[in-house]
Amino acid sequence: MVTIPRSSLPGVTSLSLATVLLLLVFPARAQSPQSTAASDANPLVALTLETGRPGSTDPDAVARLRGSEARQQLLVTGRLRDGRLVDYTRHVHYESRPAGIISIDKTGFVTPLANGSVRVTAGIDRGPSAVTRLSVREIGQSRRVNFPNEIVPIFTKSGCNSGGCHGKASGQNGFRLSLFGFEPQEDFEFLVIEGRGRRLFPAAPERSLLLLKATGSVPHGGGLRVERNSPAYDLLSRWIRQGMPYGGPDDAGVVGIRVLPAHRLMSRRQEQQLLVTATYSDGSSKDVTRLCQYESNQKELAEVSPSGLVRVGEQAGQSAVMVRFQDQVAVFRVTVPYGGRLTEGPPAESFIDRWVLSKLRTLELPPSEPCDDATFLRRTSIDITGRLPTPAQAKKFLADPHPDKRRRWVDRLLASPDYADYFANKWSAILRNKRRDDRSTRGNFLFHAWIRRSLLDNRPYDQWMREIVTASGEISRNPAVTWFREVKSIEDQVQDAAQIFLGVRLQCARCHHHPYEQWSQQDYYGFAAFFSRLARKPGTQAGEEVVFHDRGTAAAVNPKTKLPVMPTGLGTGAFDISPEQDPRQVLADWMADKDNPFFARMLVNRYWKHFMGRGLVEPEDDMRGTNPATNPDLLDALAGHFVQSGFDLKELIRTICQSGTYQRSSHPNDQNADDSQNFSRYYPKRLTAEVLLDAIDQVTDVRSEFPGQPSGTRAVQLPDDSFNADSYFLTLFGRPNNASASESERTHDANLAQSLHLLNSPKIHEKVSDPRGRAVRLANDSSLTDEERIRELYLWTLSRLPEEPEMEFALGYIRKRSRGSDAAAAARSRLEEAYQDTLWALLNTKEFLFNH
Amino acid sequence: MLTIYGKGHRMCDGMSRRNFIQIGALGMGGLTMPQLLQAEKQSGLGRSDKAIIMIYMPGGPPHQDMYELKPDAPSEIRGEFQAIKTNVPGIHVCEHLPRLARIMDKLVLVRTVVGAENSHSSYQCMTGRISGRRGNPPPGGWPELGSVLSKLKGPTDPAIPPYVNLSHKSRHSEYNFGRPSFLGVAHTPFKPQGDIRNDMTLNGISLERLSDRRQLLQSFDRFRSDVDRTGLMEGLDSFQEQAFDVLTSSRLLKALDVEQESAKLRDRYGRGSPRLERDAAPMHMDQFVVARRLVEAGVRCVTVSFGYWDWHSTNFKNGRYYLPAFDQGVSALVEDLHQRGLDKDVSVIAWGEFGRTPKINKDAGRDHWPRNSCALMAGGGMRAGQAIGSTNRLGEEPKERPVHVQEIFATLYHNLGIDAARTHLTDLNDRPHYLVDGHMPMPELV
Repeated sequence: MVTIPRSSLPGVTSLSLATVLLLLVFPARAQSPQSTAASDANPLVALTLETGRPGSTDPDAVARLRGSEARQQLLVTGRLRDGRLVDYTRHVHYESRPAGIISIDKTGFVTPLANGSVRVTAGIDRGPSAVTRLSVREIGQSRRVNFPNEIVPIFTKSGCNSGGCHGKASGQNGFRLSLFGFEPQEDFEFLVIEGRGRRLFPAAPERSLLLLKATGSVPHGGGLRVERNSPAYDLLSRWIRQGMPYGGPDDAGVVGIRVLPAHRLMSRRQEQQLLVTATYSDGSSKDVTRLCQYESNQKELAEVSPSGLVRVGEQAGQSAVMVRFQDQVAVFRVTVPYGGRLTEGPPAESFIDRWVLSKLRTLELPPSEPCDDATFLRRTSIDITGRLPTPAQAKKFLADPHPDKRRRWVDRLLASPDYADYFANKWSAILRNKRRDDRSTRGNFLFHAWIRRSLLDNRPYDQWMREIVTASGEISRNPAVTWFREVKSIEDQVQDAAQIFLGVRLQCARCHHHPYEQWSQQDYYGFAAFFSRLARKPGTQAGEEVVFHDRGTAAAVNPKTKLPVMPTGLGTGAFDISPEQDPRQVLADWMADKDNPFFARMLVNRYWKHFMGRGLVEPEDDMRGTNPATNPDLLDALAGHFVQSGFDLKELIRTICQSGTYQRSSHPNDQNADDSQNFSRYYPKRLTAEVLLDAIDQVTDVRSEFPGQPSGTRAVQLPDDSFNADSYFLTLFGRPNNASASESERTHDANLAQSLHLLNSPKIHEKVSDPRGRAVRLANDSSLTDEERIRELYLWTLSRLPEEPEMEFALGYIRKRSRGSDAAAAARSRLEEAYQDTLWALLNTKEFLFNH
Repeated sequence: MLTIYGKGHRMCDGMSRRNFIQIGALGMGGLTMPQLLQAEKQSGLGRSDKAIIMIYMPGGPPHQDMYELKPDAPSEIRGEFQAIKTNVPGIHVCEHLPRLARIMDKLVLVRTVVGAENSHSSYQCMTGRISGRRGNPPPGGWPELGSVLSKLKGPTDPAIPPYVNLSHKSRHSEYNFGRPSFLGVAHTPFKPQGDIRNDMTLNGISLERLSDRRQLLQSFDRFRSDVDRTGLMEGLDSFQEQAFDVLTSSRLLKALDVEQESAKLRDRYGRGSPRLERDAAPMHMDQFVVARRLVEAGVRCVTVSFGYWDWHSTNFKNGRYYLPAFDQGVSALVEDLHQRGLDKDVSVIAWGEFGRTPKINKDAGRDHWPRNSCALMAGGGMRAGQAIGSTNRLGEEPKERPVHVQEIFATLYHNLGIDAARTHLTDLNDRPHYLVDGHMPMPELV
């Protein structure tokens, strides 16, 4: 397959075969001038040359290269007249003086040759240039190799210790390494001690199994991983020759990595070299650009090579490139504008709009128009209360001339008990209010009622979160204790507390260092220690438990070090907690602190997703540096607003729903159809199982019955998951079984079974044709004309009036079906059927099935 | 993207045949339509009647008690079962598989399946991939074989879903399959068990009225599907269409109705019951009959879950209970396919997630053993009558011819007329993935 860059495709149909072949043969010709984006109109005005070392902007600073395996990536950045920064690393001539100390290749990669100091110049013909200085030391010395710092990163870079290879818990073909080299001590044992030393051969390093396998000299399932005579190969052989030293306890370790640039605005098909520098505990630094691992979270948008060269494709949008070196991670963010034109619309209404619009301007991505009143009414009713507006509400709202009517409508919805019902349903699933057996019924009902009450009274989020995390006592007196019934083990408690309230997937760190985060096992057990004094005893009712604080010193043992870890927040020091104090109180204090970096962000992101269809961070409860928000400023601003409001959930909803961003149409304009993460329009959501069932009930005016619940109970009011088993509808449309703290347990997928059910199930048929149901009653209401009846059905289902062609079609259908010359009874039944059909058809439209 | 030379499968990446021909003709100086068709035919494409029946054995069946007994091993390994001869000289199987032994010439036994992960999950049998993060799943997850067929080949008939999952819901959730994947909801299997049956026959309205309703719905439903970038709206449209097809033609229902078969034939399969065995699946041999009926009706992939195979205790008591039903049902299915001349077109595979420990534990059971497992295959035009691979003396690991799970997938795809090493699917990020990575169809079979 031969691929031609899309840029050369327009007009391809008029090209002759010869032209096509020419393009194929000389694909490189078009590359160089275009990819730097400089032009006569926007010329290059300045260059900078960086080594990434601390203080490297100081012209006298010197980047040191130690030993013959040391390397240095240079980063050359050009500034164009309009201020844009463009990567020139591969588009300059390099020169070093005096000669013979180093060599520099076309990619700006420095190899040391001899000891000494050099002055490096990067420049272009008849253009600007930039200078830096390097010094080379320790060439010719056989410095002792440090295993964790120098050898382990080779395994990581070469993919040896990845989860798909030797890094998996069982190893690969009898040889095991720790995942991503997070446990160098173990790796050392696997390599040097295990297998009776057969893997390494100091007398003739090149005959070591390790090198023979890695170079593919003997059959190796992973193939060639390390080239002979590469720096990695040389380092490995030197380490073996030295007798495989591990390194001393005082040897410096990595304390941080930094990627340059951190963020860049790029055009389609542009490239950017990254420069990654590690700093060590002794204050030294080293270039690790080609020793790191890179991973792009949007590979179609930006790809990254093993040497840290980012290539942007044809897509616009944003991407993050994760950089990992040993247990350190950093992120490079790239933004590729869409190239659309933003007209100056009305001024931004709120801080949400300011941040979204600022992002859209950067992306050159014009937003959709505001939605109309009918759409707004239906959208907010569903998103805030999980139900459709009634025709009476719709008529009143549509006729209301007041400019402030949208604001007042949101307030009305928030004041209604329906709001508490709907969000209690959401939180019951997150807090795993799961029915295990009949004995848990009391707890389930009480816990649900407690959640609902908290929402209805709009108790500050930090307060009721605190009551859950610190819950003690008996279910009947403190329903929040129910949380600990399903969240049983200390592992469950760590996982759920961290994921629900902090958006941190800490569970990875239980067995090994979190692969995409800074969290280690030490962090995990420090967090676990908060729950280490939680104890239980049987309650007064069978199957119930009393949860209490068991007096004593809180600590959890890190299985790796075998040492106890004191309660520690994420990124905090250990807390000093007296044996009398319940450590969960301290945890709650730390979480709800207004400066906690996770707590408010997690909640606002969860709610943002609820309303906008996509989290600023996605998945909404996986917040980490390497999974950055699509709009970090907005996330910060929302979290700040939430904290300032005193963790007021209704205020948060009000703020979101009153923003111009939330109130945009879901219909794309010419440019934003592809946008699925920047909120340039409202993204439609299928109604959830409960909301859809309630909506069908409301529209047909035939209620579903739920076992053991009073007549008229709506599906969103059901207290726990036990009703799913009896409701094919709820199961089919993906109501969660409250088995996990993750909201992704709820499925939104469509399938054939759902369509069959909506189109043809006995249940839907009964509801549509019920003699006391909406369709039949309307058909028999002689006070109404056909037009009025159709309008009524449209208002019930779609919360709007039919447009003219729709009205004509519906009228035509009703007249056709009810036509006949026979007895009145038969005519009446035909008319009833015509209305049943109309209602049935409206229920099956996408406009009904989606919130849009 | 400009595809200069037509590898027919590449068209699966969303490029229409029309585009393909237009651009191809330009690039190649004008290949004519008949030439292209000729090229397609030569690469073995263009047939649409191939199908597969996959029988999943939840829990992991014991290789050494079924297809490669170890009569010479020490008693704590050998077990209680005797080996019997089959109708292929030199191949022996367990005494509780007598019917399969009689049709060994129609079967392939793979005795040395490797690459299994140690997880009680149907995931690998269905997708060929390791489950969870270790399987490096693209966003949305790896597709099951049936979903891949659905995507690549589509339905043979609009009223017949390309992928049908007949399994009952297991209590151990990871045994269940029909998982969604990056191919999207449109390619998840149709699962006819349970409530959906009521939804598949017209309820209280005539066909004529349904057709009226359909027209009405089409004129009301003017909401643009492109408003939704997740593909859900488009999926909904296509499912609605499929649902109408199901309702207006009774072919699918008929195919699902085992009562349409003679009592004699059902008895030959052994009937069985829909009652679930432990936390796994029923022994419901009627489902094998239905599977055959479905592939006859045009379904491309039928998956069934059968029995309970996680025999940590009383391995041999379990064997005497489960093996005879398996023997009867699978042998009947294979014979039936042969009698109907479907053996070239329909592949059958029966396997579980891993093998069992060579050493019998203190509870007379065998534990999990991913280092070696087994599979039974038949049909699909394969060279049958072979037992592939052998394990060492104790049945611990392959002594010769380890067969990777991905090789089996490559073979199944080959049987279905798909070159897995050259066919790719694009995930949600438009990144291409080959159906199988680094493995070829088994040379012994194809």
